[in-house]
Amino acid sequence: MRFNTKKFYELAKSRGFEAADLVISQGHSLSASVYHGEIESYSEENTIDATARGIINGKLGACVTEKFDSDTVNFMIDSIEKTARVIETTDPVIIFKGSEKYRRGNYYDKSLFEIPFEEKKKILFEIEKKLFAYDKRINEVASVSYSESCSEETLTNSYGLKLKIKKSDFSIVAQITVKEKGEIRSDYEVFAGNNLKEFDVDAFVKSLADKTLKKLGGTQCESKKYPVILNPECSATLLRAFLSSTNAEDVQKNSSLFIGKLGQQIASKKLTVTENPLAKNIFFNYFDDEGVAITKKDIVKKGVLQTYLYTLETAAKDGVEPTGNGYRGAGKASAGLGYIIVKPGRKSEKELVSSIKEGVYITDLEGLHAGMNARSGNFSLQAQGFMIRDGKFSEPLALITVSGNLVEMFNNIKDVGSNAKFLVQGRASCPSFSIKKLFISGK
Amino acid sequence: MPSKSAYLNILNTALSTGGDYAEIYIEEKISQAVSIENGKVDASTVGKTYGAGIRILQGVNSVYGYTNEVTTKGLLKLAKSLSNSFNGKQVLMVESLKTKHIKNNHKILEPLSEVSSEDKINYIRPAEKVMHKYDKRIVRTKSGFMNSKSVITIVNSNGFIIHDEKERGRVILSCIASDGEKYESAFEGPGAMSGFEHFKNNVDIVKLANDAAKAAISMLSAKDCPSGKMTVVIGNGNGGVIFHEACGHSLEATSVSKNLSVFSQKLGTQIASPVVSAVDDGTITNAWGSNNIDDEGNKTERTVLIENGILKNYLVDIVGGRRMNMRPTGCGRRESYKYEPTSRMSNTYICNGKSTPEEIIKATKLGLYAKTLSGGSVNPATGEFNFGCSEAYIIRDGKICEPVRGASLIGTGGEVLMNIDMVGNDCERSNGMCGSVSGFIPVDIGQPTIRVQNILVGGNGGELK
Repeated sequence: MRFNTKKFYELAKSRGFEAADLVISQGHSLSASVYHGEIESYSEENTIDATARGIINGKLGACVTEKFDSDTVNFMIDSIEKTARVIETTDPVIIFKGSEKYRRGNYYDKSLFEIPFEEKKKILFEIEKKLFAYDKRINEVASVSYSESCSEETLTNSYGLKLKIKKSDFSIVAQITVKEKGEIRSDYEVFAGNNLKEFDVDAFVKSLADKTLKKLGGTQCESKKYPVILNPECSATLLRAFLSSTNAEDVQKNSSLFIGKLGQQIASKKLTVTENPLAKNIFFNYFDDEGVAITKKDIVKKGVLQTYLYTLETAAKDGVEPTGNGYRGAGKASAGLGYIIVKPGRKSEKELVSSIKEGVYITDLEGLHAGMNARSGNFSLQAQGFMIRDGKFSEPLALITVSGNLVEMFNNIKDVGSNAKFLVQGRASCPSFSIKKLFISGK
Repeated sequence: MPSKSAYLNILNTALSTGGDYAEIYIEEKISQAVSIENGKVDASTVGKTYGAGIRILQGVNSVYGYTNEVTTKGLLKLAKSLSNSFNGKQVLMVESLKTKHIKNNHKILEPLSEVSSEDKINYIRPAEKVMHKYDKRIVRTKSGFMNSKSVITIVNSNGFIIHDEKERGRVILSCIASDGEKYESAFEGPGAMSGFEHFKNNVDIVKLANDAAKAAISMLSAKDCPSGKMTVVIGNGNGGVIFHEACGHSLEATSVSKNLSVFSQKLGTQIASPVVSAVDDGTITNAWGSNNIDDEGNKTERTVLIENGILKNYLVDIVGGRRMNMRPTGCGRRESYKYEPTSRMSNTYICNGKSTPEEIIKATKLGLYAKTLSGGSVNPATGEFNFGCSEAYIIRDGKICEPVRGASLIGTGGEVLMNIDMVGNDCERSNGMCGSVSGFIPVDIGQPTIRVQNILVGGNGGELK
């Protein structure tokens, strides 16, 4: 059943809503995974949901639903009224009239769906087979999975704003365990994009197998401070945790590391970070969840903080323009960071490593939700990696922790590598960071 | 909602290409949430989840699909499309369906779905005030009440239509303390599968609010935690996350059945120190992680996992059971119709031992007292886990001394279980959300105070002296 948008706005108006908005999201996806030469699971998803907000007497009410029948509009309007009634805060409440200009676009390629699903399954079988054949120490391929999706989102509001985006993408994920002399190590690899031709089976298999096999023989190093190099994945992970303090709401509510730091040095001069969700990749977007146009902007330039991230509400409080960083679940928006690009340095990763006599190279960080206190900047995280000895990679390290403080760490960046990598999980293009000293616990 | 004959048609369509089991899972859920920030109600939302999933099994292989179009037409279309994954002949035909009535073991007097937002706000406001006024250095407080009511219908090729209803509620109390430079936060989140009466009569939220504010302020003056291998005493209640992560996940059929767990093929062997017994119990009355039935339609159970150090059982769902040739233990769970169910924990805890918590502290010369853990994660293949400590102290000469911050505990499940040398008699459960392949689900974790020898503690404070 289609959602009756017209009826929604008419009813909102007749109930005295000052303004209202509505986001309709639709998605379709297929996925399959292979285990021991068979399709172990296959799934198919069709979803639609509507998220609506309304302003009544200057208060914001909100509702989300997945049920579409003759009662849907009434249910939503009633729920918005009911939820708005209890709001007490006098913070500004805004439904947006629209930005002057939008860089409209989609990230959609229908040719992905024209390739028969059987072809995609074949890729999975091929990956599994090649992984098992790669090295006899690969004792299990836990799963190899493919998923593709197509989604469409339409944002409208009572001021007549209408924004629409259509996206398609696929991802391939494989996880293996390797075993030698009773020791087990595991790792996984992710690839995502929207053009299947860009996927290279052999490169994927090699990357996963090599990085997992290299972990065998993991030991603990002596506990002390070491010069540390973070691989691109770990660099992006810690950078995103650091930049979470750019949320203007936290600054306004006295709970951010970056209070009073706008225009100030917050990190080493080597660090320049640009946010660009307009880049044509799986993270593409041209309007945020409040309907504000997204633009490319510097977040940190040569270590200096260029902007906080604003929603409509927090921007109005500070008397500035919203930055297109509004994300919302059901009700109020909060600010978040889109796709970021870290400016690469001049030195290759090899050069970074060769300058260290004794140090640690980190390849994995675990348990961010437990060991990272981004608000205070303190972290103590389970890690894996390698010793660096005399400028070269040496023995693998397992069950170590790396700890420190994000502010100190980002001020202690010695170098940024030239090895920028597109990171699906880090939502970033990021190279390796070389850090002067971080505390590593092991033995 | 489709009729009985429509369900038969959908199931038989799903089975038309050789599937040996089919199941329809329909979910309608209303969620309500209201929150107060710095003393004022700042957000309130209502959400409705509505959809259906269809699963077809052929041996240990499965196909799964879901849709919001919960009509005969929508489900038939999905069943047809999913059945295309197999290319055999029909081996099973469902002839009739019988409605199974599920007894509700979790009595509710005042359903939260019928309590007004105003009443919920009035309930949490005093706690919010306590945090706010505790100390000038509490710079931000946020509290909330969230609850949901789900109506579930499971129709399967064993010939049953099963209806279940459940309501859960949870209070969230959080605060941030700052001295202008450092920030520390604390959190309490009591939840239950019960009505408003439970919160009013059994939950002392003012005390919890006070505990949260106290913890945040206490951590503000804490020094960086030392690092290295130490004797660690882990507090009761929420400390149970260590068993949940370090051991519980590795006992789920999801990883055990594929030989991906360090505890695969270890039934009947000693995997923990003899002072350790542990249980997963999905039947505890009104508990946050309980259910009448699991999301595969099987009655929840009390499963003894470890008894005096010996591995007694795994957590087994239908597919895992087929792979392992074991009976399902009523633990097939999922976040919503958007997930295929798999083996998950419910209320998992280490059973009481003989020592008092005071005796355990007193017997420890130098070590760490990890009072509250903030969560963690595990790699079931290697058993390697990590936890963060949100509140921790150094133990010196049998006494709890200075607070330390930024501590994390690292180790492997196999090792830590063997290294537990003292178990207290003060078992408590604590409520949380567990994330895994079938989404985020409510679970209880729990334990008495325990002592573990030789855990690697990560921190920024150098060697423990």
